[in-house]
Amino acid sequence: MNSTKLDRRITILNWTAVATMIINLAVVFLYAPPEKLMGNVQRIFYFHVGAAWVGAVAFFVALVAGILYLRKPDRKYDTIALASVEIGLIFLSMATVAGSVWGKPAWNTWWLWSPRLTMITVAWLTYAAYFMLRGAIEDEEKRGRFAAVYVIVAFLTIILTFLSVRLMRDIHPVLVGGMADSAKGAEQGLQEFEDGLATKMIISLNISVINFSVLFTAWLFNRIRLQHLNESVTALKMRLSNR
Amino acid sequence: MKPTTSSFFSTAWTIAWKDLQIEKHTRQIMSVMVMFSLVTVVMFNFALETNLDAARNVATGLLWATILLAGTLGLNRTMAVERENQAMDTLLMAPINRNAIYAGKVLSTTIFTLALELILVLLFIVFFNKPLWRPPVLLILFLGTIGYVAAGVLIASMSIQTRARDVLLPVLLLPLSLPLVLPAAMATAAYMFPQQPLFAEVQTPIMLIMLYDALMLTAGFTTYHYIVES
Repeated sequence: MNSTKLDRRITILNWTAVATMIINLAVVFLYAPPEKLMGNVQRIFYFHVGAAWVGAVAFFVALVAGILYLRKPDRKYDTIALASVEIGLIFLSMATVAGSVWGKPAWNTWWLWSPRLTMITVAWLTYAAYFMLRGAIEDEEKRGRFAAVYVIVAFLTIILTFLSVRLMRDIHPVLVGGMADSAKGAEQGLQEFEDGLATKMIISLNISVINFSVLFTAWLFNRIRLQHLNESVTALKMRLSNR
Repeated sequence: MKPTTSSFFSTAWTIAWKDLQIEKHTRQIMSVMVMFSLVTVVMFNFALETNLDAARNVATGLLWATILLAGTLGLNRTMAVERENQAMDTLLMAPINRNAIYAGKVLSTTIFTLALELILVLLFIVFFNKPLWRPPVLLILFLGTIGYVAAGVLIASMSIQTRARDVLLPVLLLPLSLPLVLPAAMATAAYMFPQQPLFAEVQTPIMLIMLYDALMLTAGFTTYHYIVES
């Protein structure tokens, strides 16, 4: 794809993201009903789930890009993997902060070592280390190769962590009740309403997830473009110094 | 040359044997790992001095933490050996399967780590008075070590080739081994009571450890040649 075509697509994507964000804000604050027990603070739930969703999708995209890079070492795939991990990590942090803010009124604590929170921590650490690895390799081709291998192993770790943390429930039933599990809690939260209101909440949640998916796509392309610009600047600098 | 199965295993064993011979003469890996573990255990004892019961309760977690931390030292050392005098380049020039090199490295590092664990188990029995000699505990230690080393050799082969060298390994490897520590420490802790648990109680954690082993070995065998090619 040439750069002008890419630029035009990015502009369209950016405006779509802005539009869906406005719709999403309106839906979350005006259309969605307030939660019965927690009140308005529950509205953070829509952003929390949206951000966590983007985190999961981004890491999956990075995994696919990593596998593709190993099959065919094209710089394009490395750029996609890098962009995805970066965005995924940021959205994961947003989901964690939003969840923490929501956790304070809901559980009366900012943080618990519940299975899901443990998993998020492991995922965060694993993908943060990805940048340490990249930063320590100068050779571009080698960096791409190592980063691709790492991103595959990292994804395996997340799957294994997901399975492992289930144990915490099995062995320590006292430690982890229904309350501590955020998703389950949300489910219960939704079920407390009469059908009409719960449906409104589910619709709002879906709109939120769609909005965040658009936002992710827009960010991804912007980040790829940024990387292209970065590379051309480096190339220009090289040409200048070789004169 | 088409590598056959028997040549694969004999190559892997030769590489592991070479590491064992080097260790026999220099004793640098074991001495560093053992000294580090000793210091760590003593340090934990001091840190938890005010509450000895707490120290006993967290003993199994401490055991695993010590193994993982000392393991990074051992891994760095076994990889550094290959880097010095360009030994790795020579290995790669030889007409042998890349995966045999990986298997050999996993084998030798596993042997070193298991030897360390033997010493650590004795230390923990003395310091924390826990029944760590029970065969299921030793089996859990063995299974956990395979997975940890399988991931460790892969990551260490990468980190040793970077600018940061040995500093990078713990940062990369420890988060990756968290899903192993969780079930391993849990299964070990289940055996610390006078009464042994039923197998059904520890079945899931042990299955998870074996799953970790299988996945990390698969990842290692499928991606190792991407890491060592130059």
